[in-house]
Amino acid sequence: MFKRMITESRIKSPWLLHYDCGSCNGCDIEVLACLTPVYDIERFGIVNVGNPMHADILLVTGTVNHRNKKVLVNLYDQMPHPKVVVAIGSCGLSGGIFREAYNVVGGVDKVIPVDVYVPGCPAKPEAIIDGVVIGLQKFHEKM
Amino acid sequence: MVTNEWNIVIVEELVFVLIVLPFLAAICSYLIRSGAVRSFIVLATGSLMAASALLLIPRVPFAFSPKALFGVGVHDIILAADFFLLFLILYFGFKHHSLVIKILALFQIVLMAYLEFFLIRDDAAFLTIYCDNLTLIMVLIISIVGSIICVQAIPYMKNYEEHLDLKKSRQHRFFFVMILFLGAMNGLVLSNDMVFFYFFFEVTTLCSFLLIAHDGTETAIKNAVRALWMNSLGGAAFIVALVLIYKEMGALDMQRIVHTSPAAGLCLLALALLCFAAFTKAAQFPFQGWLLGAMVAPTPVSALLHSSTMVKVGVYLVLRLAPAMNGTFLSQCVALFGGFTFLAAAALAVGQSNGKKVLAYSTISNLGLIFACAGLNIPEAITAAILLVIFHAVIKALLFLCVGTIEQHIESRDIEDMRGLYAQMPLTALTTVMGVIMMIMPPFGVLLGKWMAMEAAARNLYVIIMIALGSALTVMYWARWAGTLMSDPFAGRFRPERQPLLTWAALASLCAGGGVLSIAAPWLYSRMIIPALNGNYVPPYTVHVGILENSFGVFPVLPLCLVAALGFVISIWAVRRAARARIIAPYLSGLQTAEPGVFRGPMNRLVKAEARNYYLSSIFGEERLTTWINLGAAVLLTLLVGGAL
Amino acid sequence: MINTCALILAGLVAAPLAGGLVNGLDRILTARFQARVGPPVVQPFYDVVKLLGKEKTVVNVWQAFCAYCYLAATAISVVLFFLQSDLLLILFIQAVGAVFLVIGALSSTSPYSQVGAQRELLQILSYEPLLVLVTVGIYLETGSFKIGQVYAWDEPLLLKLPFLFVVLGYALTIKLRKSPFDLSTSHHGHQELVKGLLTDYSGPFLALTEIGHWFEVVLILGLCSLFWATSWIGMIIIVATTYFLEIVIDNVSARMNWRWMLGYVWAMGLTLSVVNLVWLYVR
Ligand code: SF4
Repeated sequence: MFKRMITESRIKSPWLLHYDCGSCNGCDIEVLACLTPVYDIERFGIVNVGNPMHADILLVTGTVNHRNKKVLVNLYDQMPHPKVVVAIGSCGLSGGIFREAYNVVGGVDKVIPVDVYVPGCPAKPEAIIDGVVIGLQKFHEKM
Repeated sequence: MVTNEWNIVIVEELVFVLIVLPFLAAICSYLIRSGAVRSFIVLATGSLMAASALLLIPRVPFAFSPKALFGVGVHDIILAADFFLLFLILYFGFKHHSLVIKILALFQIVLMAYLEFFLIRDDAAFLTIYCDNLTLIMVLIISIVGSIICVQAIPYMKNYEEHLDLKKSRQHRFFFVMILFLGAMNGLVLSNDMVFFYFFFEVTTLCSFLLIAHDGTETAIKNAVRALWMNSLGGAAFIVALVLIYKEMGALDMQRIVHTSPAAGLCLLALALLCFAAFTKAAQFPFQGWLLGAMVAPTPVSALLHSSTMVKVGVYLVLRLAPAMNGTFLSQCVALFGGFTFLAAAALAVGQSNGKKVLAYSTISNLGLIFACAGLNIPEAITAAILLVIFHAVIKALLFLCVGTIEQHIESRDIEDMRGLYAQMPLTALTTVMGVIMMIMPPFGVLLGKWMAMEAAARNLYVIIMIALGSALTVMYWARWAGTLMSDPFAGRFRPERQPLLTWAALASLCAGGGVLSIAAPWLYSRMIIPALNGNYVPPYTVHVGILENSFGVFPVLPLCLVAALGFVISIWAVRRAARARIIAPYLSGLQTAEPGVFRGPMNRLVKAEARNYYLSSIFGEERLTTWINLGAAVLLTLLVGGAL
Repeated sequence: MINTCALILAGLVAAPLAGGLVNGLDRILTARFQARVGPPVVQPFYDVVKLLGKEKTVVNVWQAFCAYCYLAATAISVVLFFLQSDLLLILFIQAVGAVFLVIGALSSTSPYSQVGAQRELLQILSYEPLLVLVTVGIYLETGSFKIGQVYAWDEPLLLKLPFLFVVLGYALTIKLRKSPFDLSTSHHGHQELVKGLLTDYSGPFLALTEIGHWFEVVLILGLCSLFWATSWIGMIIIVATTYFLEIVIDNVSARMNWRWMLGYVWAMGLTLSVVNLVWLYVR
């Protein structure tokens, strides 16, 4: 029963960490748009905590490069289990238009395991919220 | 009071052990320059004194007049020694070219001669040694805590001298003064004759001078000279008070003074001067300089000066005189002055990153609180004062010994350098944190005392405001220190560091003592403190299954201790479980590296993340506050003495 | 005896539940102020249960110890409040909790935790004396520090201690870490201090600090209720109004720095307390 309560709570209270790997800021703005009264993601208990120690879901926007891949791994490591990673935008998915650049590693999944991919350039706020909701379903599997 | 002849004999023997034996032991340890013998003497004297103090418990109150010591009249010995002492101080005045000391010493010699040869006639006979429960509490503190400090000094000094690389050991001199000090303190609290009291008062002055000057460096001498003149000022005030009292009452009988109220003709000015003397001894503002300067001496000296001896002379004297001051303007002034000192010293402590200075200011601050209580002069306040005296002695000794041990290890006394000390010296760090916790948290004794003090001060607007502000500042500087000691990086497993056995013994006994006494506080209150009120005050609290209660307040000591113990056990269990948890690096914006506290900065360079404590020196810095505080204290002192005129 | 046990139980179980609900309401109201809908009222419980179920990760074990001590101290202070014990003692015990939280944060090398902890100390420094003075005012009026006797007083304290109630308001705002006094940590983490004091507490240990905070909320509202203790309705109205005002202040003000806080709160708090206390003294 406790287990069910906890899973239920996890789904009801996803705390986000938003990390900008090297985005053009297009996707970032869309992420932040979710916090505005128009979308009001706090309705779903979602809080942008800005701190890996407290977060359940890691939203990554932008291309991973050699400089920031360590940071990404560090942040991921600091999150307590269970955790879900959502990659946002073409850049987060595959490197996007920066893919061929000399300093670029590629998509987020080159460095850390990704659970949900949200495409778009930039991804729409609705799509991002959708991605988070799909990510929440993963908590059922991650028990 | 004591009916039994046999009992008197025992009591006289015990008092002999408490006062004279240390003097003899001190001389022995000076003459016999062998480390082993000296250690033995210190240990033996310490345990004998502690044992005698404990044996005194069932025998109080008592009073007697020792007739002769080794065939010579006691009064004559004291008199001769007193003049010898004053001339010695005069000599030091010449040696160190201090005009103030010369003048003060000469002044005291003249007045002493006037008092002894022209005023005092032998017709007023009274008992010269008197011991009630208040005295007993002091004797216990001096003999037990003082002895523990001396014992800890054995390994400490050995280490200290090895470190300094001295060619000739000076330890014989050091222990000579230390043991002498304890004897003088016992003598002081046990004397009923004010002339005796004065003599011992001067002995403690001289002892502190010698101890502070121990290292012989320039600063040491300078600070020692400052201590000497400040305390001589107190001595001078004391002797003037004696002359005044004798002219007024025709006897220098402490008990008679205590039981004569100013209304009944006691000279108020004399009382004010005695308070003044007490303030100099207790290093209250503006005389804080000597206690701060005393840091230059080896740490056991600071521990001794701050906890069980010297500064406690001041509070003992005022507590002793409190019944006589009851209801006077003087008493209110003392309360105000004490409250002011409590606040001001706490503020200065906040601005300090030097661990020993924080301890010094905290001593001054706590003594201020005790004075405030004595000045409030209601039963609750006096109870609080006595409790604070006991607990402050134990815990301050513990903290000083801890800092001394830490200082020998890391060669710094700066709080910032103690960051992450747990990794290096886990047990000492834990003990220090324990000391801090006992200083600021209920259900431990200091907080119990503070609680009583606050409730007693609630009817005095100025005092309660100062105490309220001061105690918040107190929390700030202690909490900051405890947090710094326990900060990362943590060593993997708990492995106590190596220290000499005697050091552990001293630390453990003081730490355990603080804890046990806190639990036993209700018992302490009904068994020791109520009798120590001597019927001058109505016992303020009722004790019921370990709960202290009066008409307007309640402090469930024993239940709280139980709950705290339970909470502690649970927390320890939690720690053991948490030890299995995944250890993650502190948050450094994701830039952390494998090395703790280091992040990857620009150009891939490794940078150490540094955060220092807030010392708020722009507000609470010494340079900024000291002048104003001294000024304020001087105004209050003038009020105190002037109001008594 | 049974009564005592019931009270202790109430303190341990009902109090955090109430605190959590108040927190939920707070979040909804705040959302409404910002033209949002906000989370469900039981959201704080979801958060805490979730945190309790997360993996245990710590920066060091000492921090775990501190989290437990914080929770224990706040719980004890609330239980003592329910047992109608001594006001001053309760203040001391809640201070223990606050101090442990700070010590735990100081044990991390992260500058965010460190600075947050230092600021929290400054917050303690700001509100502690005020709370003491408020209790002193209550004592001067009712002649007792015991809560039982304060509740039994037959006149609302607010009429005699209006300024001290304002002072209590200052202390509450700081204690609840509401703007403009949310220096050490705030409800929203993505700021210059991250989560300040709480940055390095994670998972179950963060949950403990959250529950401890609920206890604190209840204690604080309990203190408010002392000011209109003659009737239940008065008590509820005063508590509700105060908390509502807190939320309004939180929403309309921006964060200030510690210098301003210390200077302003001490100056205002002390002046108001002194004026009010002098009234009581001269009476
Ligand atoms: S996906 Fe498009 S909008 Fe998003 S970061 Fe990349 S380039 Fe910018």
